[in-house]
Amino acid sequence: MNITLSEDQRDCLQELINVAMGQASDKLARYLETFVHLDVPYIELVGSDTLPLLFAQKYNGSSVSVVSQGFYGNDGIRGESLLVYRRDNAKEVASLLGYEPEEANENEQLADISSILTTTFLNGLAELISNQMSYSAPRLISSLNTSLDSHLEQLSFNWELALKVDISYQVTDYSFNCDMILLIPGEAIQNIQSVLDRILEEY
Amino acid sequence: MSIPVLICDDSALARKQVKKSLPQGWDIDVSMVTNGREAIDYLRANRVGIMFLDLTMPEIDGIGVLEINKAEKLVDFVVVVSADIQPDMKKKVESLGALAFINKPVSTDKLNNILKDYGLL
Repeated sequence: MNITLSEDQRDCLQELINVAMGQASDKLARYLETFVHLDVPYIELVGSDTLPLLFAQKYNGSSVSVVSQGFYGNDGIRGESLLVYRRDNAKEVASLLGYEPEEANENEQLADISSILTTTFLNGLAELISNQMSYSAPRLISSLNTSLDSHLEQLSFNWELALKVDISYQVTDYSFNCDMILLIPGEAIQNIQSVLDRILEEY
Repeated sequence: MSIPVLICDDSALARKQVKKSLPQGWDIDVSMVTNGREAIDYLRANRVGIMFLDLTMPEIDGIGVLEINKAEKLVDFVVVVSADIQPDMKKKVESLGALAFINKPVSTDKLNNILKDYGLL
């Protein structure tokens, strides 16, 4: 399947993502009572088979935890959201959330933050394109065991193309950040393209 | 005489959204720039009555533009139109002299209300 985004479509999608990301950061900032620094998000279409390699390059040996969650909207818009945390951030995450070290395990903390970021972001995006999302249960996968590699392999097997959205949520005063990657299968990208064209026609 | 209006956003869609949300029949002359650096250059060379300014931009961001504008007093009325809607960001923008803050996406209603509030319409 050969899909490319036109310059207008890319600009439109980037702006929609910007707005949804702003909403997610605002929610996170209020939840953590801190300020979240926003960068311009970077989006690109990549073959999902390159995903394991991209992960290996970007996180270069550092151990990461990934929260993976499927989303399903109307009009054939669906995909999988991956939130990637570096595990050396674990202590910062805990103190951000006000947990005592022995309280609540790390998985619960990541689940809390992920649910805020993923659902706020995707609900915001859905609203902007007059859609509605439902979600599968999130799964936490750690690179400490081999399950991340096999998860990525499985994803790259199931999804032909990935719309990679690199969003970095950087929390001021803490060295905590996480990356969000959206994986969207080929036919769903085409559905998103029709939505983008519809929006572009309005302006 | 038409009011010179400047729209500054790195997104073409966002610029069009602002332009389309401006009140019908308002006697204005709209110019557009795509980042903070261009905005400053434009403001130094041209008189602008009201500027609509995005915050998250390459080159010089919206905060940078507000800081320079505060020092050089290039334009009186700045309305920030931003996706970064955190309370701390709104406070910062206000302290740098922005007149108002519009949460993206902009709409005719949001924009008209603000222009009316400040007697610009």
